[in-house]
Amino acid sequence: MTDSDYPEEILQSLEDYNIDIRDFLPGHGGGAKLLLDFNKIKGVEQIEGIILKGREIPNGIVADVVIKEGTKLEEPVHLCFGVSKETGIQEIFPRIIAEDNTEVKVQAHCSFPKANGLIHKMFGHFYIGKNCNFNYSETHYHGENSGALVAPVGYMYVGENSVFENNFNLTKGTPGKVKIMLDIYAMENSVIRSNIRAFGKNIKDSVRIRDAIYLEGKNARSVLKMKAAARDGGEVLMYGITEGNAPNCNGHVECSEIVLGKGSICRARPFIRATDPMSSVSHEASLGRFPQKWLDEIMAKGLNEEEATEILIEAMLREE
Amino acid sequence: MLLELKDITIPTEDGKCVIVNNVSFGVKEGSIHAVIGPNGSGKSTLAYTIMGLKMYNPSQGKIYFDGIDITNMTLTERAKLGMTLAWQEPARIDGLTVPNYIALGMKDKTNLKEKVIEALEIVNLEPERYLTRTIDESLSGGERKRVELAAAIAMRPRLIILDEPDSGLDMIVIEDFLNIFNKIKNLEMTILLITHREDIGMVADYGTLIWRGNHIITDEFPKVMLRYCAKAGLKEFCKRTLFKNDGTCFDEDYIDRIFREEGSS
Repeated sequence: MTDSDYPEEILQSLEDYNIDIRDFLPGHGGGAKLLLDFNKIKGVEQIEGIILKGREIPNGIVADVVIKEGTKLEEPVHLCFGVSKETGIQEIFPRIIAEDNTEVKVQAHCSFPKANGLIHKMFGHFYIGKNCNFNYSETHYHGENSGALVAPVGYMYVGENSVFENNFNLTKGTPGKVKIMLDIYAMENSVIRSNIRAFGKNIKDSVRIRDAIYLEGKNARSVLKMKAAARDGGEVLMYGITEGNAPNCNGHVECSEIVLGKGSICRARPFIRATDPMSSVSHEASLGRFPQKWLDEIMAKGLNEEEATEILIEAMLREE
Repeated sequence: MLLELKDITIPTEDGKCVIVNNVSFGVKEGSIHAVIGPNGSGKSTLAYTIMGLKMYNPSQGKIYFDGIDITNMTLTERAKLGMTLAWQEPARIDGLTVPNYIALGMKDKTNLKEKVIEALEIVNLEPERYLTRTIDESLSGGERKRVELAAAIAMRPRLIILDEPDSGLDMIVIEDFLNIFNKIKNLEMTILLITHREDIGMVADYGTLIWRGNHIITDEFPKVMLRYCAKAGLKEFCKRTLFKNDGTCFDEDYIDRIFREEGSS
């Protein structure tokens, strides 16, 4: 596959995130990859230790990714679920299995640069075996027009002694109507770190993200951080759930949201539940503006309040 | 004078009490000028008012920077004129990288990385260890203070206000900070040093003593420090620590006279 086989607008669309999709095209870099434009598979590259298959369906694809037992990948697996047209309904069914003792980083890019009434649905299943180190990063760009209607649902099972890090970024462009639901099940001694970042920028944007972590195995630990900003009529709801259902499990939910301009709405709903007397779960939430001291420290460098706020938003929504 | 305060009075937010009362003094360009006084005497309030922070407004008096009346200027406007403040306890902000933070106030952002490295080196931080860090909780208190100082230095302001740069630092680190102050001075920046510690203040050329919100004296620093000791009734401490082995400073009679003037022995 050459660069020109993949729509230029998708290739360029993640520049604001400092991501160049060209780096992930087949023939570039050593990682496995699968690139999609609506329901057309534009490129697949397999590497040893991975089975990567996509099957086109009328509105999208079914994609299977299997990381074979013991495989440790240095290069990330790249999944690009792009749509270069303005409208339509794209449906993606990814099934990702990381077998025992694997180490892998998956970078998924959902890019709809010309979206104008586009609908993107995803129904994903992740199975992460024992003793794995699995890092999943999903970056979205829904263009600058009306955004898209995006409704992904994900179920993630994290096996014993595994580490699962989830990073979701929707901070550039106009999101549109976004409703995301994630359920993560953490087994014995597993560690979950889930970081969600979103930015609603105008009245067309309504972002609702529900991320639930169920600590089902003893000593399972989790930190769920949800960070968001809403401006100029944008609306964001962060619903972070953690349940402690096993002895000595420990979970924490943190929601931080900044609201800017009249008509913008930020809502945070950290929800914690414990069913085991030896479990420990906690939460914290903050909404509103940045602390005046933070603004003062930046303004003392010669920036005005608006510029200082921009810098703090950029920092807050930056991937760690 | 680079900075001049004339009859500055600062009330509490509700206006019911006065924190700083009718204070006037000047800061010479190129000097290190310490403002000393016990805890609660109004030093930090004075620093924030000079810098123009919201909620810190004088009810009377004027502040001049290089002859310009800045009393009604905003914090940003004052910073753009060439002054800045390094906080006593700088904020920890997730996601803001050390280089980006240091670069915030740079007017000329060409050769940015080199300038960031230079600023880090001035504050004795190894650049390679900090270029990928963020100014979050992973930095120790001392590291964060140094990064704050580096960001202030990188602005190349004419005046840096250092609010209690010594707080929470151990003695070895304080010695290092004193060297950094001298480096800043050599870069032709003026330092207004807010402190209540005599060992930090001793690096200063001049000083001002604020006592319970009132201006007591502005003079060469040893004289100011002597007056501070006299007001606090710390004669033995004064003789033992401040002027020990320094016969050129003040003789015993002079020290006794100052203490008598302040009604302490």
